[in-house]
Amino acid sequence: MPATFYLVEQIVVRGKAFQLIFLLILGILTYVAYSLGKHGKVFVIRPLEGLDATWEGIGRAAEMGRPIMVLTGISGLGEPQTIAGLTVYGEVTQRAVSIGVETHTSNTDTNVIAFSEAIAKSAYDAAGKPEKYMLGEYVRWFGGDQFSYAMGCAGYILEKKPVMIVFMGYFLFDVIVSMESGNRVGSQIIGGTLSALPEMSVFSDYLLIGEELYAASAQISQDRMVIATLAGQDWMKLILVALMIIGVVLILAGNTAIVNLMGW
Amino acid sequence: MSALRTYIRSYMVRIIIIIGILSGLISFYFVSPEAVAVATELQTWNSAAAAWTLFVGIITVFARYVRSIMKRTQYWQYRAYGIVLMVVWVIMGAIVGLYSDLYQTAFYSTKITLHIAILGQLVFFFTSGVYRTFRMKTFRTAIYAFFAMLLIIGNAPWMLATFPQVDKLTYWLLENPSMSGERTLALTGGIGGAVLGIRILLGLEKGALRATEAS
Repeated sequence: MPATFYLVEQIVVRGKAFQLIFLLILGILTYVAYSLGKHGKVFVIRPLEGLDATWEGIGRAAEMGRPIMVLTGISGLGEPQTIAGLTVYGEVTQRAVSIGVETHTSNTDTNVIAFSEAIAKSAYDAAGKPEKYMLGEYVRWFGGDQFSYAMGCAGYILEKKPVMIVFMGYFLFDVIVSMESGNRVGSQIIGGTLSALPEMSVFSDYLLIGEELYAASAQISQDRMVIATLAGQDWMKLILVALMIIGVVLILAGNTAIVNLMGW
Repeated sequence: MSALRTYIRSYMVRIIIIIGILSGLISFYFVSPEAVAVATELQTWNSAAAAWTLFVGIITVFARYVRSIMKRTQYWQYRAYGIVLMVVWVIMGAIVGLYSDLYQTAFYSTKITLHIAILGQLVFFFTSGVYRTFRMKTFRTAIYAFFAMLLIIGNAPWMLATFPQVDKLTYWLLENPSMSGERTLALTGGIGGAVLGIRILLGLEKGALRATEAS
């Protein structure tokens, strides 16, 4: 056994072998689920209230002739929550543009701003209305700081009076200012994050809790194969639960095998 | 020429994303100085690209503000003031240097003052939100309000002095149900993030990566 440990340490960074195995299993399970989806298996996932409300919000915005907003938070492209938020932004923008509703957005990171501009342009092109797209009109930047973002978004919300504001991404205390500003102009607030859940739970009308944010980014595409990847995610969660139960039982029996394995 | 541009936009960006993700993963998990060197180099390139994209933000701000000033829209005076300030900060940074005492003192004096002002306002925003949320209209909101009240008492020393029994209960709430909830979110969120990464590698995350599609 020590020889195996020595061999593994030559290849994998110490203490990361278990993580790597887990990641590989997750990758395999996701790929299996994706392949099943590709071969016609339909995975049904429960509807997310927040997403349904988003489509209703777009329709209401069209009736009222007012814009909507999708805010992607205060982090860069290295943050998975931002990527999920940008996916939602892209899909929502395309659907909103097709029925004549403007979608505004903002982020603290200039990479994300450049990305959002490209997404907005692409959404207008895909909706068949490239002439309606204006650089700098739908994507704004208020500085790289959390609080300048909060105050900038609050001003933006008060100026545009959006019918609905979707908060999807990484947020901190800034949501207190921006969400409450949204409430004051009567916007419907839909939140989705892993980072500022207690704050969002106070101010949101609909809340996507934790990983529902990632599920939303998959479900919003309405692509069978994308939704299938969520099944792989659920299988992994079952393995984790099983591991936890075994770990608790073993620890109660005085055996630290699972703990040692995790530190491998 | 157009076909070449389409090719570059469609494939090159995807290849760069895949190389970036793989180099990050390999350098994180495996003992490989070569992978670490590639990841470090890519980080440097990323920093350089990020510095350039900063201009997108500044151009956006300038374009909107200048248009607003020229059309004399509402609050155009504040926008004019904002533009002047931005130019002054850039000139000052270029002349005295970013790490000079003058620049640092001016920056932090302004920034910290503004932060404190906003932090002070948070209380009012939060109270307004909390008032709506904690109204006991249903049994569920009543439970929510009750536990929130316990936590408020547990965190306010003058209230804790009156109700010392709450102290243990508050810690029990934070260390058991709250902590388990947070750990569940961290675990499932981590798995969700990893699967999102796999979707990107499989080319399925079209919403966010539509920017790389040819238009």
